[in-house]
Amino acid sequence: MAAAQPISQSRSPPRGAAIDPLFKAACLAAATALLAALAGIVVSLAIGGWPALSKFGFGFFVSATWDPVRGVFGGLGPIAGTLISSLLALLFSLPIAFGVAVFLVEFCPMLLRRPIGIAVELLAGIPSIVYGMWGLFVLAPFFATAIEVPIMGAAPQGSLWEQLTTGVPNGANVLTASLVLAIMILPYMAAVLRELFLTVPAQLRESGYGMGSTAFEVVTKITLPYVRRSAVGAVMLGLGRALGETMAVTFIIGNSHDVPTSIFASGSTIASTIANEFNEATSPMHSAALIALGLVLFIITFTVLAIARALLAERQV
Amino acid sequence: MGSLRRFRRSAVDAAFMGFCWLVTAVALIALGFILWSLATQGIGALDLKAFTLPTAPSGSPGGLLNAIVGSVITCAIAMMIAAIVGVLAGTWLAEYGGDTLYAKLIRFLNDILLSAPSVLVGLFVYNILVAHVIGRFSAIAGSVALALIAVPIITRTTEDVLKLQPTSLRESGVALGAPHWTTIRKILWRSAGSGILTGGLLAFARISGETAPLLFTALGNQYFSVGLHQPYFFGLGQPIAALPLVIFQYAMSPYDDWQHLAWAGALIIAIAVLGTNVLARIVTRERRPS
Amino acid sequence: MTAVETSEPVTEIAETYEHYAAEVPADRVKLHVRDLDFYYGKHKALHGVTLPVVDRGVTALIGPSGCGKSTLLRAMNRIYGLYPEQRAEGEIMLDGEDILERRVDVATLRSRVGMVFQKPTPFPMSIYDNVAFGVRLYEGLSRPDMDARVEEALRKAALWDEVKDKLRQSGLGLSGGQQQRLCVARGIAVRPEILLLDEPASALDPLSTRKLEETIVELKRDYTIVIVTHNLQQATRVSDNTAFMYLGRLIEFAPTSELFSAPKTKRTADYIGGRFG
Repeated sequence: MAAAQPISQSRSPPRGAAIDPLFKAACLAAATALLAALAGIVVSLAIGGWPALSKFGFGFFVSATWDPVRGVFGGLGPIAGTLISSLLALLFSLPIAFGVAVFLVEFCPMLLRRPIGIAVELLAGIPSIVYGMWGLFVLAPFFATAIEVPIMGAAPQGSLWEQLTTGVPNGANVLTASLVLAIMILPYMAAVLRELFLTVPAQLRESGYGMGSTAFEVVTKITLPYVRRSAVGAVMLGLGRALGETMAVTFIIGNSHDVPTSIFASGSTIASTIANEFNEATSPMHSAALIALGLVLFIITFTVLAIARALLAERQV
Repeated sequence: MGSLRRFRRSAVDAAFMGFCWLVTAVALIALGFILWSLATQGIGALDLKAFTLPTAPSGSPGGLLNAIVGSVITCAIAMMIAAIVGVLAGTWLAEYGGDTLYAKLIRFLNDILLSAPSVLVGLFVYNILVAHVIGRFSAIAGSVALALIAVPIITRTTEDVLKLQPTSLRESGVALGAPHWTTIRKILWRSAGSGILTGGLLAFARISGETAPLLFTALGNQYFSVGLHQPYFFGLGQPIAALPLVIFQYAMSPYDDWQHLAWAGALIIAIAVLGTNVLARIVTRERRPS
Repeated sequence: MTAVETSEPVTEIAETYEHYAAEVPADRVKLHVRDLDFYYGKHKALHGVTLPVVDRGVTALIGPSGCGKSTLLRAMNRIYGLYPEQRAEGEIMLDGEDILERRVDVATLRSRVGMVFQKPTPFPMSIYDNVAFGVRLYEGLSRPDMDARVEEALRKAALWDEVKDKLRQSGLGLSGGQQQRLCVARGIAVRPEILLLDEPASALDPLSTRKLEETIVELKRDYTIVIVTHNLQQATRVSDNTAFMYLGRLIEFAPTSELFSAPKTKRTADYIGGRFG
């Protein structure tokens, strides 16, 4: 076979070489767009909310007076409502999510493990508006007739009990909103916790069982310590989602700007307030107040998400 | 003594196991109940009219068609924007940014945006596009808001899946004398194709159910608003109907027929989201054997 | 006798390493490595390596794990350039030009100095497109010309008969040995002058290994080949010259038959005799 001649020793650069730096620049631009978007969100919230913040100052955060007619805006109601509903939601859903995750890792019969695991992950994807509607049409009426009316009816006149249970018995209050929120973040938390528990090396768990530990002991003494920091991170991630939720709560939180003082009181969250009022804002100050609330929400969620990420970083979930 | 301790340990264990079984059953039943409510209420209202008629005032025959069309359009435009920005950004993080400080910053911000409250994204796009650049509520603004929610998902999956490609694959392309971008485009992207597609499907599933970002951007529209003869750039520059917006409006209303349609709409969205998620799982599973 | 000298400190100042390098006439040298140092960050992996690579012959690089043979190979096509913390100092002369110089276009260099990796890496495309990939970067061949080039490359890689009926099928569907030969075909389709093979048979079964070795022996008629291998018998089977490396230094370089039958340094003799490695 004749020797194959190499092409002339000095070749021209390959096809497409000139585009290389352009492509890299395009990729960098796309990555920077993320930075720009986030910066843009913060800046626009700050600028838009500034009129309200500068006018009401610190009072914006401690006053619950929200009076569009007189132009007085205090955000304590929605801020308190956001924190209360999210924390309650976490309180309700965490034990259940934890139990589901442990169940899937330790107790579930092998055949059911995959289907239930997949079901949980799929449920985590259901849009919040579905939960909101369910809350409005199913949970609220049930709650009103089966829980609110009996409890309120049984409270003696003028007692502390009555004070703690005042409210309109229509099922639209902070408690029911928290319940819906809890159910909504439940599949997500269960899925994340389950994935975390699965990162525990099999040998570690097996050696625990091998020594005669019960499942409870394996979970509390081996699994949980192993994933402790990441588990807190996962919980905070769930909290971050709950804080920003709009549609799941807007339907049934009652839309009152008062700070809730009884378990059946109506309230609002920052997200629900913005969703309900922004398009019908009666004055520029009203809009500014809503945007200022948005800034508060952003700062709260940013902090929670940043901490969550730092805690999860080791596990890279 | 020892047996008392043993008894207590197994009692605690039994209680614990019982607790886990119980809460799982409760959780599955509760979630199942929600889906069942959705299915029964939704199917009851799902008839041909819902799919063929546009939205109409209560009392007149109406459906959801323009809302469905509007959602499809906004989501499609959003995905086009998000796919380009997301894949390029993810590629930058995996292939060029590496471990630099800037790359770490972008990854951090990406994760924040991923879980940021969607209502705030809507406010931001309102401030930029609705209040200033375009000057009115529009389909484009709605699409941009949805795109901002989809981009972090696609960026994250693209970066993850590109990093999984074996280094020798990357080096093989470069060793032949290929420019870096040719290696990325013809070898790495193709090799990571199903993973990138999965990211896109997951992003689509997420944005198809989003309501809050559309409240201040797309606004909603009673009629069909997109077409060759529509004003403002084929109608894309004017408010557009969207399914989640209609559901929101109808559910909060006091009218029975509207409430039924709201359930129908919710069912449609839930099916679309679940279907897309299932599709994403199938695509992922196809990838496993190779 | 104990195996490796485990407690040997890797200092440069006090130790002198036995060294022997056979002479090679200048006109027969295709690529000449001169006094090459290589660094992974702060760690110095190669110390003053000088190695002539003979034109149209096979040069084998052998040595225990970590001796630097792969590092040396990867310097020859500057593939280390993908990683910012790796750098080389010294000279590598290819036809009178130092390829380590900054102004040399690495992409063009790599079209002249091809590489096949340890693990077969078929691209996610058809067999035809795999082989044509590199060619398309540099030449605008017509369809019949490209067909001919693809066939030529596949024949030389001893793969043509096995794939000629399924050129449109994905390269991923081939067996491990076939995939590796596909990578060889891909590498020679661009008609490089030098082929670098980094333990090309280590992931293959014995039958595929034998086929690959036969291919290498055939290829050396047209190409200059440098092969890194762990398999000493393989080195004796395919190579003309062998370089033994240890701890980043070239210890002995000689025609293969000489090196294996009558090594001039004790360390080489120990390695070949299986006393460490």
